Amino acid sequence: MKTIDQINDKIGKKRAVVWTVDEVKTKVAELGIAKIAELVDVITTGSFEPMESSGAILNLGHTDPPIKIRSCTLDGVPAYAGFGAVDLYLGATQLVDFAGEIGDGDERKERGGAHVIADLIAGKGVTLRAIGQGTDCYPRATFDTTITKDSINQFYLYNPRNLYQNFIVGVNGGDRQLYTYLGPLQPRLGNAVYSNTGAISPLLNDPDLDVIGIGTRIWLGGGIGYVAWEGTQHFPLQKRGENRTPIGPGATLALIGDAKQMDPNWVRGCYLKNYGPSLMLGVGVPIPVLNADVVARCAVQDRDIVAPIVDFSIPRRVRPTFGLVSYEQLKSGKIKIEGRTVRVAPLASIYRSRQVAIELKNAIDRGEFLLTEAVSSLPRDRTFIPQDRRQMPSLLED
Amino acid sequence: MKKRVTLTFPKRTIQMPVAYRLAKDFNIAANIIRAQVAPNQIGKLVVELAGDIDELDAAIEWMRSQGIQVSTANKEIYVDEEVCVDCGLCTGVCPTEALNLAPDTFKLNFTRSRCIVCEQCIPTCPVGAISTNL
Repeated sequence: MKTIDQINDKIGKKRAVVWTVDEVKTKVAELGIAKIAELVDVITTGSFEPMESSGAILNLGHTDPPIKIRSCTLDGVPAYAGFGAVDLYLGATQLVDFAGEIGDGDERKERGGAHVIADLIAGKGVTLRAIGQGTDCYPRATFDTTITKDSINQFYLYNPRNLYQNFIVGVNGGDRQLYTYLGPLQPRLGNAVYSNTGAISPLLNDPDLDVIGIGTRIWLGGGIGYVAWEGTQHFPLQKRGENRTPIGPGATLALIGDAKQMDPNWVRGCYLKNYGPSLMLGVGVPIPVLNADVVARCAVQDRDIVAPIVDFSIPRRVRPTFGLVSYEQLKSGKIKIEGRTVRVAPLASIYRSRQVAIELKNAIDRGEFLLTEAVSSLPRDRTFIPQDRRQMPSLLED
Repeated sequence: MKKRVTLTFPKRTIQMPVAYRLAKDFNIAANIIRAQVAPNQIGKLVVELAGDIDELDAAIEWMRSQGIQVSTANKEIYVDEEVCVDCGLCTGVCPTEALNLAPDTFKLNFTRSRCIVCEQCIPTCPVGAISTNL
């Protein structure tokens, strides 16, 4: 049994033993869980994948005369301005507004909020065009400028849904090509795509969120971040296997982190053909080895985690499935569906996810990254509510 | 030896059974990599020719004499490693497994000799790391 304080003390003295979750999985057969629990203080996990429910909060600083922004674009991408005067929220999947006039059509079509966020993090200048509301205290009508991350006050990511605990495998049983958030899906089961990294995925190594909670310090895009809240669509009640990992999309997290500290290498705009832009983001989550149970859960292997194969050709809320498949099979590059062999590719970068775990390990080894105690546990009882049309009783009577 | 060439057929030669003539007259196996042939239009054929080196040269000379344009400068797929994030999404649409992930490191490998330049990987790549050289 160890406490976070004891572990932090060791980190401070650069004496903490930090392993990546890959190392745990490789060595557990040889050393056993108890031995690893004794030996290791922190296990690092990482992820690098498109996470579209991400966005950036920006505060511009006040102009003279001041402006209360009514609408605004950043490199042609609209940002939400319904806050205080010069506060903006730029969403990763927000498309370029074609009423703007920056860049040529084809190139711009594939850019969105994610690319603008990534450009700002990379230190590039971004064109801002704002229209004001024109009030007595904020009389200014328009404001055009170029901003960089250093010319604005706050610039942080607030991502309402990141780090899905497991997900689905997408296929297309129809007869025309589909363009999805998992990339192109070829007709007649031409290919399959999975988006979770399986056994190395952060939340699959703490399936019941025993050690990860609100306030957990994380590595976000190369800087420091925190678990802010449960993520949107957080669904801890998803059906789970014996090892407590969910058999489909489960828990999610809302993450927050200072974008000014982030490294462009770990925050990348991306575009999924004919679907839209998204943000590829590196997230590292440390798992403190408080007891042997923590290690036991981190020992979970790809063969013990499954995801459902979902047919995207039926565009309904509940789509038909072709059963469950293990991550061991998915990572082999081929799966069997109804007796047919289908090529399967990942959407998350497994290579880079491992790199994130190594980056976090190195930061802890250098004594730069201390762990935090969670302030509060994440809810374990959220259901997944579908949205159907309802009418107010009084309206029905009319 | 093997040689990959791009053949461009003017409209008047579109009726010629080229693969048959290559086999019969030059003992060359013509493996069609890509083809775009329609009546009354300029045709394009990317073929891998396998045969004796002298026969290959003779065959290319013969095709040129027939008005077929033979180009050995082929379109090739180029993966920019600086931009690529090794997500591997392209590997699922690559029909020949020229693009694959190393089973141990999960880094992207590109085996050029297996590539048939179908270009399906280009729009699939979420970060625009794949292009053709032409």
